[in-house]
Amino acid sequence: MFVKRTLLAASLAALAAPAALHAQTQTLDGISRVSRTAIEPVYAGNEVKGYVTYTKGDKADKKNDNFLLDFYDQDLNKVTNITLQKPAGKYFLLRNAFNGTAFAMYYYNAKDKTLELETYDTSLKKLGFKAIGELNRADMAATMQSFGAQGNDGDSGGGGMFGSMGLFPVPNYGFVRNSYEGTMKGYNLQMYDDKLTPRWRIAADPKAKFYETINLTQAVDKYILGTALRRDGVMSKKINPYMVAIEAATGKKVFEMPVETSTTEQLSLSSFTFDPVKREFIAVGEFYKLNDKPFVNKSQGFFIKRFSEAGKQVAVTNYGWHNQVAAAMPAEARQSLEDGFVNYTHSIVRGSNGMTYIVAEQYKVVGDGMGIAMTMLGGNASVSKGKIANMLVFALDPEYKLTNVKFFPKDPSVAYVPPGAGLMGTGFLGMYFRQSGQFDYQFTQKNDANSQFNVVYINYDKEKGEATKKVIGNVAFGDNGQFKVDKIDGTSNATASYLYPAKPGYVMLVDYLKKEKKMGMKLVKLNI
Amino acid sequence: MRLLFLLAAVGSMLATPALAQQAPYLPFYSPDTVQVHQLAVTHRTAVQKYLVTPKSVSGEYKDHYKKIAQEACTDVYNTVRYSALLDPVLNPYVQRVFAQIQKANPQLPPVQLVLSRNPEPNAHAVGNSTVMLNVGLLGRLENESQLAYVLCHELAHIQEQHMATGLREQLTKIHSKQVRKEVKRIVADEYNISSKLKALALGLKLNSTYHHRKYEKQADSLGYALLKRTSFDTKQAYRVLQLLDQIDQPLTPEPLALGQFFGCANFPYPLAEAPAKPKSIFTVAAPVKTVMETSDTLKTHPDCAKRMRYLSELAQGQITDGPSAISPEFARVVAQSRLEAVQSWFDYDCYDHALFEALQLLRQDPQNAYLRSVVTLSLYELREHLLKHDFYEVVGNVSKHHHDNFNQLLTTLYAWKADDYKGLLACFAQNGSTAPAPPANEYALAASYAAAALSGEPTAATLKQQYLAHYQDGKFSKLLFPKPVSSKKSIR
Repeated sequence: MFVKRTLLAASLAALAAPAALHAQTQTLDGISRVSRTAIEPVYAGNEVKGYVTYTKGDKADKKNDNFLLDFYDQDLNKVTNITLQKPAGKYFLLRNAFNGTAFAMYYYNAKDKTLELETYDTSLKKLGFKAIGELNRADMAATMQSFGAQGNDGDSGGGGMFGSMGLFPVPNYGFVRNSYEGTMKGYNLQMYDDKLTPRWRIAADPKAKFYETINLTQAVDKYILGTALRRDGVMSKKINPYMVAIEAATGKKVFEMPVETSTTEQLSLSSFTFDPVKREFIAVGEFYKLNDKPFVNKSQGFFIKRFSEAGKQVAVTNYGWHNQVAAAMPAEARQSLEDGFVNYTHSIVRGSNGMTYIVAEQYKVVGDGMGIAMTMLGGNASVSKGKIANMLVFALDPEYKLTNVKFFPKDPSVAYVPPGAGLMGTGFLGMYFRQSGQFDYQFTQKNDANSQFNVVYINYDKEKGEATKKVIGNVAFGDNGQFKVDKIDGTSNATASYLYPAKPGYVMLVDYLKKEKKMGMKLVKLNI
Repeated sequence: MRLLFLLAAVGSMLATPALAQQAPYLPFYSPDTVQVHQLAVTHRTAVQKYLVTPKSVSGEYKDHYKKIAQEACTDVYNTVRYSALLDPVLNPYVQRVFAQIQKANPQLPPVQLVLSRNPEPNAHAVGNSTVMLNVGLLGRLENESQLAYVLCHELAHIQEQHMATGLREQLTKIHSKQVRKEVKRIVADEYNISSKLKALALGLKLNSTYHHRKYEKQADSLGYALLKRTSFDTKQAYRVLQLLDQIDQPLTPEPLALGQFFGCANFPYPLAEAPAKPKSIFTVAAPVKTVMETSDTLKTHPDCAKRMRYLSELAQGQITDGPSAISPEFARVVAQSRLEAVQSWFDYDCYDHALFEALQLLRQDPQNAYLRSVVTLSLYELREHLLKHDFYEVVGNVSKHHHDNFNQLLTTLYAWKADDYKGLLACFAQNGSTAPAPPANEYALAASYAAAALSGEPTAATLKQQYLAHYQDGKFSKLLFPKPVSSKKSIR
């Protein structure tokens, strides 16, 4: 061969197979098993800056296996890999987090029943290691819960009503790890620096009569923000949401107040953010009938409350589904309200131009004829089933006036309701659907400037007489004031297909072919 | 109005055969696949005969050998079948040079030269009777003597039976008692099998590379001896290696002025500033190279600098150092080869490369209608793939393996949006042509259709009909007018 660039020439040797070199794709061979959590996006701020895959390799010695961490950049170029020698078959990656200066890997060691943290700098040189033992029952339960859940939307703050173990990255400071007290009666937050040296620790009041969990949502300005949920008992259906702001440097709670500021309010809390320009805290959630229970019953609409840094309520606005929202809804969307669909709020984002966007998906719980029949025959089937329907985006101007409601119809899909849970209340089931991944909504992507957003969902298009098509819907909106929809045909013959967040303007599709033992990752550019 | 004129003109132009003498060169295309199939079968048969499975070896060795031989046969068939360039200009030219070498070297076995459409600057020998020369390399040479040395180098590989010898050496090593024992030991060890096998494979690779490089040195040397027997200028052998050393560089060092090509008053160029190169959060340094892994240890060929030094000694300093003047005849060969290479990039769906090469050449020849057609068609295809969401299949990643100018184009392609293409194409049409030219050939007609379709003009339907009427088995029929496929099965 008369060649200089051996690699390049080798790639082009098979001319019958046209291909772009160094394309935004990766194909991994010899993959005998794969799950959604085998690939985790790496976030820096709002944006995906890479991926890490965690796979089991060969045996390292009698007791240990080699586990492989492979790092890819945002264009799917392989960066490097790290081999860990850990207990055979008993070492699991729960989360990864990146805070701008360090990566943290959060593992569960099932052999020693410990949680383990490892941090690396951006050159992937190891910075620190910490093993956390003596896990209580709540921590163990939350750890198990964490296996199925993925840190979508960059939210890895853990906590929440169903519990999970999170690792929350805080730029310039380190990482916050959450854990539980007793039977999830209280919470602990432990902040570490990049080398995993403890910085500060805060916990729920051990003398408190109520149960309390916390979910960290955002590191902004000098604060770490979170939403706390308080209940009188573990089975209590009355949940009181609290807004919490912690000073990142010291761990001091500088803001902690209930979202309900009067006895005539019944509110849930979906989002708690801080506007560094106006120096205001902003709470967004849903309101309920006075005799109903937040999170549990059907909400009546959503609200926005603003507070000063000193904790004074500056403004509150309610937007009822059947009045303010219905009035702004396009005609094609109104039928769905009449059909009894309610909205589940998936994400709330605030644009750099002051616009607020609320992303919701419609759902309802209906009786399941087959389930009822099976129960009558003595079975243990569920008598209810969930129906997941259309996507909605509410746009509010900087003065929080509802200016636009965008309706994105999709084919209804059915969600599983566990036996007995049909009576738990619509709001609760919405949270269950979200936690069990039954909504068609996948994630919301934001760019670092908060000027462009992209909501990704899946629609199973079931035309009569045709094979079901899997359509990946993308709704893009932002500072340009335009709403654009881009639909990707996601139908494939793969054994399993997964969808992941990607760099702005892209999504990542992963197809796994079991027979060929191949996993293909590809970055799909969106027309938005 | 302009399109109506074009449509009116196209019919008359297509009906009148262009004068061959005056017509500009267009990449060769023939819908007849029988000739290339027969040629491919001939070369496959030759490789089959050449790679005879050795007798006194183990069963595993035999199976391995057969598998490689089968792959080599399939590969040579596919390469010839899908890339042989049997055009009436370039192929006869290179065959003439090849025949001269063979005539001056009657001791050589009977060998056939296949000119390949492959746009990569490369050439290689297969078996004992096939030399493949890529049109991409032809377009980077300066004279016939340089071409002759490239061919002599490949003929030297054949004369020395490097393919069979290399294969036997490699398989003998892999199936040696020592290696088999080592593999058994690694597997029996049970632990860290993967990393130990990788280390063993690296050792075998280094061994194979060592032999390959030995063969390259032999081919440089023997190729020079073969060249000396001809009337070609032996001083050019050194210059070939010098050209190879710089072959990764673009034809011209200046970056493409994309705004000048694709921006105009009606449609301001969509990117006010050059898009930023993607920045990685990772700062992982390249692995430190050991003495065993110096810059060229793992390449099949030694560094050009080393080869040049060796050849200079061989030629006792009688070398051409630096660019040579190009004769008008060879300049035509180079120009035509470059157009063929552009078309090859396009045909292999590498629209990023096709666009880059076409734009580079347009700087020297701004009115070249063929190159303008390729730019139009590439833009059309890029947008089509954006809309189909498989852009990743036709545009490469920004990479350190590319030169800066190409990376600049890639960054731009990733920044352009589907909605931008209409304006980009309108400006490109406006900026380049002095007057609207009628589509005088298949390429121009296909490009006219692509431009009209991309802009959503109703004339697209007429242009499509005209194309299909004149070029039923045309080069672009399947690409531009694919038949609808049945819907795929879904999985949830």
